[in-house]
Order: sequence, then structure tokens, then C-alpha cells
Amino acid sequence: MLPAKRTDPAHDNALQTVLDRLTGGVAERPDAPDAWVTAVRRLPARPAVFAPFPEAIDARLREALTRRGIDQLYTHQAQAIAHALAGRHVVVTTPTASGKTLCYNAPVLSSILGDPSTRALYLFPTKALAQDQLAELHELANALSSPGSQDIGVFTYDGDTPQDARRAIRGRAHVVLSNPDMLHSGILPHHPRWAKLFENLRYVVIDELHAYRGVFGSHLTNVLRRLRRVCRHYGSNPTFICSSATIANPRELAEALVESPFELVEESGAPRGEKIFLFVNPPVVNQQLGIRRSYVAETRRVAAEFLKRQLQVIVFAQSRLTTEILTTYLKEDFDGPPGTQERIRGYRGGYLPQRRREIEKGLREGSVRAVVSTNALELGIDIGALDICVMAGYPGTIAATWQRAGRAGRRSARSAAVLVASSAPIDQFVVRHPSYFFDAPPEHALVNPDNLHIFVDHVKCAAFELPFGTVETFGRVDVQEVLGILAEGGFVHRADGPTAAEGQWQWTNESYPADAVSLRSISSDNFVVVDTTRGADVIGETSFNSGPSTLHDKAIYLLEGALYQVEKLDFEGRKAYVRQIDCDYYTDAITYTKVTVLETFVGGPSADGACSTRSHGEVHVSSRVVGFKKIKFHTNENVGSGELDLPEQQMHTTAYWLTLPRAVMAGLPYAPDDRRDGVVGLSFAIRQVAQLLLMCDRQDIGLSIGSGDEGEEVEPRIFVYDNYPGGIGFSEPLFGMHAELLSRTRELIAGCECEHGCPTCVGPVGNTGPLAKVAALGMLEALIAGGAPTAAVDVPALGVAAGVAAEDAPA
Amino acid sequence: MTTLADRLRGVVRPVSSHPPVSEQRPDTAAEILGGDWRDEDGLRYLVVNRTYASGYLHGHASVEESLPPADGVWPTLPLLEPSVRDGRLLFLDLETTGLAGGAGTYAFLVGCGWFEGATFRTRQFFLSNYTAERALLGGVAVDAAAASGVVTYNGKSFDLPLIETRFALQRMATPFAGLPHVDMLHPARRLWRRDDHLGEATGCRLTMLEETLCGHRREGDVPGFEIPSRYFHFVRTGDPRPLEAVLEHNRLDLLALALVTARASRLLGEGAAGVRTAREAVGLGRLYERAGLMVQAAECYERAGDVPGDVTALAEALRAYALLLRRGRRYDAAADAWSRLLELPQCPPIMAREASEALAVHHEHRARDLEQARRFAVQSLQFEISEGRQAAIRHRLARIDRKIGEPLSSLY
Repeated sequence: MLPAKRTDPAHDNALQTVLDRLTGGVAERPDAPDAWVTAVRRLPARPAVFAPFPEAIDARLREALTRRGIDQLYTHQAQAIAHALAGRHVVVTTPTASGKTLCYNAPVLSSILGDPSTRALYLFPTKALAQDQLAELHELANALSSPGSQDIGVFTYDGDTPQDARRAIRGRAHVVLSNPDMLHSGILPHHPRWAKLFENLRYVVIDELHAYRGVFGSHLTNVLRRLRRVCRHYGSNPTFICSSATIANPRELAEALVESPFELVEESGAPRGEKIFLFVNPPVVNQQLGIRRSYVAETRRVAAEFLKRQLQVIVFAQSRLTTEILTTYLKEDFDGPPGTQERIRGYRGGYLPQRRREIEKGLREGSVRAVVSTNALELGIDIGALDICVMAGYPGTIAATWQRAGRAGRRSARSAAVLVASSAPIDQFVVRHPSYFFDAPPEHALVNPDNLHIFVDHVKCAAFELPFGTVETFGRVDVQEVLGILAEGGFVHRADGPTAAEGQWQWTNESYPADAVSLRSISSDNFVVVDTTRGADVIGETSFNSGPSTLHDKAIYLLEGALYQVEKLDFEGRKAYVRQIDCDYYTDAITYTKVTVLETFVGGPSADGACSTRSHGEVHVSSRVVGFKKIKFHTNENVGSGELDLPEQQMHTTAYWLTLPRAVMAGLPYAPDDRRDGVVGLSFAIRQVAQLLLMCDRQDIGLSIGSGDEGEEVEPRIFVYDNYPGGIGFSEPLFGMHAELLSRTRELIAGCECEHGCPTCVGPVGNTGPLAKVAALGMLEALIAGGAPTAAVDVPALGVAAGVAAEDAPA
Repeated sequence: MTTLADRLRGVVRPVSSHPPVSEQRPDTAAEILGGDWRDEDGLRYLVVNRTYASGYLHGHASVEESLPPADGVWPTLPLLEPSVRDGRLLFLDLETTGLAGGAGTYAFLVGCGWFEGATFRTRQFFLSNYTAERALLGGVAVDAAAASGVVTYNGKSFDLPLIETRFALQRMATPFAGLPHVDMLHPARRLWRRDDHLGEATGCRLTMLEETLCGHRREGDVPGFEIPSRYFHFVRTGDPRPLEAVLEHNRLDLLALALVTARASRLLGEGAAGVRTAREAVGLGRLYERAGLMVQAAECYERAGDVPGDVTALAEALRAYALLLRRGRRYDAAADAWSRLLELPQCPPIMAREASEALAVHHEHRARDLEQARRFAVQSLQFEISEGRQAAIRHRLARIDRKIGEPLSSLY
């Protein structure tokens, strides 16, 4: 639990040398938007602030903690423990390594000591985190066992728990460490077997609360509704203890997820080591095209500076592909000949658990000197205290950036974090306006638990678990109406009771509905990757949605720097057969997307025939991977392509769309082709700005351009849709921010230094055309002039969905 | 604007086209299914009682010849489950809304049966309205409390966990906790499974036993997979007619279970003299062995060769016999059994390999006939075996050869 002290002067010297090389020797200086290093910020070390143990804590626990060298608490621990022991729901926001586990372990163990029938359920977003916590909790529980008293049972219960151990765990566990997926599919549907747990459930701990955003958060809210419903059945009413990384609205998020009032503890009393934070913007190499040096190459260079001086580094990349490419590069630079100890490792979702455990261990022991990871390592997996964090690209949100930076440097060591900006508009905005990051509050995290697809799925699960009463409520949607429709579909039947209020909706279906619902997505399907180089080994897996674009025939699949080519994608069988090859390119799929409007909720043509330029409604999205490009490593040259014939993927979702009126299009002094280029460029920029305004991940929204009604003059529409069936609540706020979206987009394009368009504004010239930039600007001017007055609003004012995407799904 | 209902219809994909609501009222269930309503505070469930008189013939098996002494347990039944004590045995069989398990799978029909005064009686508790589940379980608990033990077919993994889950869900104490339980699936498999389905669960269905043991073939029996949908049809339409066959199916299962239990108990009393097939002989021997009756077990294995049966059952009997004898330190007799096993025409290779290895050991260490030992060791190498085993046998051969004083190469 306590980090190793790093007061080694050699370590400090090495760190200082690299920082001096990068910053030119200044300790801290004003921001310089146009420099290579745009920001150098020194976050000072902070001493600990202590508080006494709360009175209510059991004396035996206090003694055990004292024996382990903990004779006082940090202030935030004392507050959180006092709230929890008093039965008040509490959410604690804590930086990495501030002793958050004691905030929930102390009240739980103290209560078990006071009443051995007490039970607690811990939920972690991944299986690995639960395993990590098990060891620590075990140790503390053992320290509390005295001769003659009953041992405190602490067990993980997840997809990896052997069948024959499960019964024993149900009987003996005081504390069950699990994840929402297992609660959803393995525990709640079998609640009678867990009657003892539910009858005595006093605490529910939700760790890494900020991970539950977007689809996952919507699912979790509904799973918690089911949990509390089952608890009511057994007569318990547990207190929730949540911990979260720093986000703007932790209390709001906790209250949205649990749907009850919460106490907030946000002042950390934990000490912190000094940290230096740098922003690096790769220099412009072609002013005309606005092309900057590759941020991937820049990341490689920065990471190498630290690695050369024996500092241990974690590199975060934005995608699985970038992760693999950076791993390959750093291996080239630093790994010994094949067969020797691997000093550089990759890490991402899709690696099999054994490989991951091996990498985590190597990091803790120091044999692995650098790891390149997706957000998979952003959460609290125990990899020890690293020296340096280098981020290849802005993680997308302030909260996620701090979380990643926290992976370097624990309590007392000096550490550094470097953000290397890509040429994406969001990155460029952040790196050129450092105070937006350092001085503004972090984003808000919101969830929309009432996505109808998700809601209906969980109503089914809940009806399976316990029959619904005919006057019962569940969430904000009218569940009685949902049950009525489910009855039409044959899922439930309304059984009349002796009185009207005693009727029940009984489950009348042979299925086990939780099996059909995956909390990590709307579809629980996935593709497995089978390596046929030697025999047939499963080496990875990929979600159903990204399967076609990453595992199509002839695709290059990268795994820790090794290259595999897909020989055959068995779409029906959900398997991709790959073989290891040696080549110098990777592949990038080309996807065609078509959006059809099903219904316009707001906007569109009004009664007098006038047409609003902004709309919000329900759409049908069909997308198909039609081909792929071969892209050479290092140079990113396009060295070939191929055509593909893959099944179409379809969904209904919600969208915001912008209609470019005939008058606007006709008023532009350009040829039709150039106007078309302008629309493409405009949509490119809109997508970037929408992402910034919504504070969402790139994959959360989709973009498509639709031409207007046929037979008339073309009236193009730009669709920004929620990339989840049923919609997840992005398009509606975007509709509300229409004016801001337009003005911000104009600012972005007009303020860009390039001449004819670049990846930072309307997209590279090669993709659009020489007039894309001016045409797009012309459209925006006309739209803004003709529309409602635009209100300048601060960017973070309507943030949505902060935090961290949990990439790793337990099964 | 679409209404919430319209949008919901787009989200909910119907599982089936459900039938039109018929004119039938659930009230007709009592009449059509031949039962009586029990009413507790306005919550009703149906109880269907039947009696099979002592002369009742199920195929050629009669209730009379199956009766346990004095409505109690057969004296040999404790050989299958030592905790069984004297008193009324309750035969239990559930019809459920599916096989998935979990809180949403429930027993809509709890079938109970018992012998009483030279007859076999069944009582079926039928859940016509879900809200009455608690009341129904209360009724079941009364009958269970009067029993000294419960007998099921595959109840260890299905019926009992399921009904205990229902009691737990209704927050009632389960009457089955601590009640001795005989699951007839396992002994029945040993005694009567068909060898063409060796090891497969489907190889020993209750209806199959009914045919081979009682000579009764069911006409128009409801296939198991159809049962939940027939119940759901009743729930939605109130039409109980398709359930007549389900209740009949359940009663026949109860009766067959009782007759099969009686048959097994009788066979356990008769011992080797009563067996008719090699499969029965080896199965009965195993049941005796488990119960610690080694002499009776040995008699059964001996008997296997004297009754009709296929080679697999005979081979299993000889193997079991040899192992039993070896455990009893009767090495020569064990070697004799291994030899007979090896000499069987079409002896299953896996057992032939085991036999030749055992004989190699016997001749090397007990009989001290090294030439024979080597012959059997070489013979055991002919079979497809794992590398580890091959290595062990080669090791043995080398040792035997050292003892004989001849080089290993002369063997090839």
C-alpha cells in the first residue's frame, strides 16, 4: 500500500537532465502557444493533512491499523468513514494513491466486527481491479482475525470464479468483490441463492465511479435499480460508498447513478510529490498545408529521452492501432535481440489476461522499462509507481488527462507528465490554451439511463428477477407502459391479484434475459482472433461493432508489435483466422455510412414552408465496410487498397443535423464540385467541434453527409448521430448548442494558419479540394448571418460525459 | 411525434406471435384438469389428486408388486442413500417454465406421489396464477413435512435446487433441507443405461426405462421442450386444454419413478441371482461396492458372464472385478480376471491396455514370471497411449530386460 520512497539522487538528476533538455532549462514559465513546448507547469509537493479516527470506528480495527503503522487518518478518509458509518451515501474524489481504499474498507470492516452478519458488495469496473484489491483487503481482514472469532470472508466473484467454489463463496463471503457485469448476469438473476447477502447487505462500494459514463453508466444505473429492488425484497437498504477521479460533478454523477442524495468528500489530505507537466506541440513542417511533424514520432522521441536515462515510462496512446505502432517503434529503439528480456511492452484491451498479468508484474518489478497502453491502464491497475507519463495525443477530457498523468509519481517521488498534441483540432486547442486545462474545472460526467433499448433490456431482467407489481415504478420511464408492450411481445403476463394493487407481471418466457444484455455495449457479440500460424490459438478479441473494420479479409492485425494478416473472417461464426506475417504496412478500413431520417422531433420544415437549419430526430444508420487502404509504417504513404464485401450493420439512433438551405448553397460563387468540397470540409470541422463541445470520445458520435430530396436542387445535410442504438444523449444537447457549434466552427476554420485546409480545420487538401476552406467559411457566414443571434458561451459550460472509457470488459 | 408505446414496440422484438385470447376462463381449469381449487385469502391454486389402485398395470408392472412394506421404504433403499429412514417416501417431479434456471424460472406444476394403503397416489399442485406461488409452496411444504425422504429423477441438479430457490425467493423455509434425498438417475444409469448411448445423459430417460422395465410405451406424450409454451399459452389465453397432457405426462413420470425405484430396491434385495443382463450385473455390483458390500459386488461381477449382455458391459464387469480382487489382495484371482478380460473378443482397447499393463505388473512382481511380464508389457505398447504412459512402459520393459539379462533391442 505504501509506495517505495524514491529519494535516489541519481533518479532526480536524470529527470532534471531530460526536463532541461526539453524546456531549455527553465523551471516554470508563462505559456507560449507558438513554441515547441507550450507549457511548463510545476505542481508543488503537498504535505499530508491528518485527522483523528472517527469515534464510531471499531476499536479492534483501529488497533490493527495502528499495528500496521496507520495511527491517524488523512482528513478525507476520516470524513468519508464517518459518513459511511452513519449510513449516509458518500462519494470521495481522490487523486491516485491517496489511500482511497481505506475510505471504504474501514467502515465495512468496522461494521463486520460489530455485527458479523454484515455483508458488503464491492463493484469494480474490471476484473483485474477486483483482483488487485483482494490482496490488500485480505491482509487487513486477516490482521483482524483473532482466535475464537469467525474469520472475515473476502472473495472475488466473477467470470473466472470456478463453479465449484461459487457455493462456498455465497455462504462464507462477508465481502464480495465483483463487477457490474457479474452482478447483472450472475448474481441478481440468481438472487435467492444470495439471500444471505441481500438480507444483510449494509454497504455497496463502487470504485472508479467516473468510469461509468455513456453506455456503461446508463447500464449501471439500471443494474443498481435492480439491485436496490432486490434489496428491498429482502428487507435491506445498503449505504453506497463511491470513489471517483477528479471530475466537476462527482456528487451529481453519484446521484444520477444511484438515484439518491450523496455526501461529497473532495478535499484530499494525502501528500503529493512534485510533478512537472509539459505540453509539447510538434512543429509545423509545411506551413502551406498546415502539416505538423507526426505526433507519434514526437512521442517516440520524448519517451526515448527518458528511457535513455533509465527512467521508467508509461506511454498512453489514443487508439489500439497507435498503441501497437508506438510499441513497435520503441521496441526497435530499445529492445534487445529476440529472446532476451522484453523491456518494452504494449498493453490494451483484447490482450488475454495472462499476458496482461505478466506485463503488470514486469512493471512493478522494473524489468519492463516502458509500457505503451490504451486507456486500459488508466484505471487503478497496480503497476507500481512509474517515473514518467507521456501522452500521445490529448486523451479527450481533462479528467482522463489527470488520471493518466497520475500514473507517474505516487506519494513522495518527483515525476513528470508530457502531453504531445496531435494535429486534431481538440489537441491543438488544448495545447495552445494551456490554462483551459490547468485552470478550468474538469468536465461534467452525465449519464442517460433512459435510453429505451437499455431501459427495456433491464426491465426484462428485473421482471425475470422479481415480478413487477401493477403499481410499481422503475426509473423515470413509465414502467407499466413498458410492461404492457412486453406483454404484447410475450415476455410477461399480467396476473391479477385478489385486489387491483396486488396484481403482478409474471415472467412468461423461457429465456434468461441477462444473457442477451452486455453492459459494455448495446450488443454483447464479439469476434475472436484465431492465430493459425502454429495450430489454432485465440490471441485476442474485438467488439462486434469494430470487427468488420479491423478484422476484414487481408486486414493487418497488430498485437504487441507483431503483425498478423487476416486470412479469413468468418462473420457468422464471429471468428477471424490470422497468420503471422512480415510486412511494412498496416491497413485502414473505408466505411460507407448512410443516414435516413425516420422522424424529426424538432426543427425541419415549419408550417409556412420555411425550413430550419437545425434538426433533432430519430434516424436509421446503415454502414458497411467497402474497402481498405494499405498504409506504410513510418511514412504513412498509401501503398495500395482493396475492395471488400461485408454485411451491412444497421441501427436506429438519434441525430442532430444541419441543413444547408438552397439559398445558402446557391449564393456561393463556386462550382458545384467546389461547393461539395465545402460541405465535406465543413462536416470535418463540425465533427471536431461537436466532440469538443460534447466532451465525448471520438467513437461516441458518428458523422454522415446526406444530399437533399431528390429531384429538387440539392440541399445537403450534415448528420452528427449518437453512435449507439437508441441514442445515448449526445445529439439533443448538440441541437441546443447549434449556434455555438456554428460560431466555434467558424472560429476554428478562420483562425487556422493554413492556406487551403489542413487536418486541423477542414481536413487535408488531398481529401477535400483547394476551395474547401473558403467554401466552408462562406456557408458558415451565410448560416450565421441568416440564423438566430449567436451567443458566445464558454466551452466547458455544457460538458457531457467526462472521464474514462473502460476498455476492458470482464466476462 | 411517435408515442412512447410506438417507440417501445420498435425496441421490443416479440418472441412469438401470441395466440388470440380465447373464450375460456381460468375457472374451467378445475373442471378440465380434474382438480379442486384451494383458496388462501383470495389466492387460488389447483390441486389434482389421483389414485392408482393396487391392481393398476403400467405395461406389465403392477402397483401391487411395487409396493414398499407398510407404506414405508424398501429395506434395501438405504444402500443407495444411507440417510434414508423409515416412513413415507415422497416422489417429486416438477414441470417448469424453462431450463435456464435463475429467479425467473419457476415450477408451475409440483407433482408429488406416494404409496398409501396398497395404492399409489399423486397430488399435483398447479399454479394457475403466479400471485398464488407462495400459497402453493405452503401446500407443498405440508406434504413434504409429512415425508421421511424424497425421491427424484435428476433432482440433485434440477428439481430440488429449483424448488429450494422458489422457497428462498418467497422467503420461506425450505421443507427439503435435511430431508434424505434419493436421486434415482444415477443408480438407474448404472443399472439400465443403453450402451449405444454410453455416457450420454439422454441414454437413460425415464420413458426409456418405462419401456424396457415395464414394457409400457407412452402414446401422445408431450415432448419436454413443448411444456413451457403450453403453460404460457394457458397463462395468456386462460385455455387449460393443452395442459391436460402436461399433467398426465407429470403423473406418468411420478408413477414411472416409483416403479423404477421399486424395481431397483427389489434388485438390490435379490442380488446377483436377480440380474438379467450384464449391464445390470456390473451396475448392481458397483452399487454394492459403493455401499461397502464387497462379497455381493463380487458375486454380481462373476455373474455378468452368465447372463446376456454386450461386450462393453461384460468387460466393465471383469475390470471392476479385477480391481475389487486386487484391492482385497487376491492377486491370482485378479490376474485371472484381467486375463479373461483380455481374451474377450472385441475387448475395448482402453481396457485391454489396462489389463495387459496390470498383467505385466502382476507377472513381474507377484508371479515373478519375467517372460510373461515382458510379453504383456510389449502388448500394452500396441495401444494408442499417451507419451507419458509409453515412457513408463518402456521404463518397465527396460527393467524387466535388465532382470532377464537380455538386451531391449531383441524385442523389436
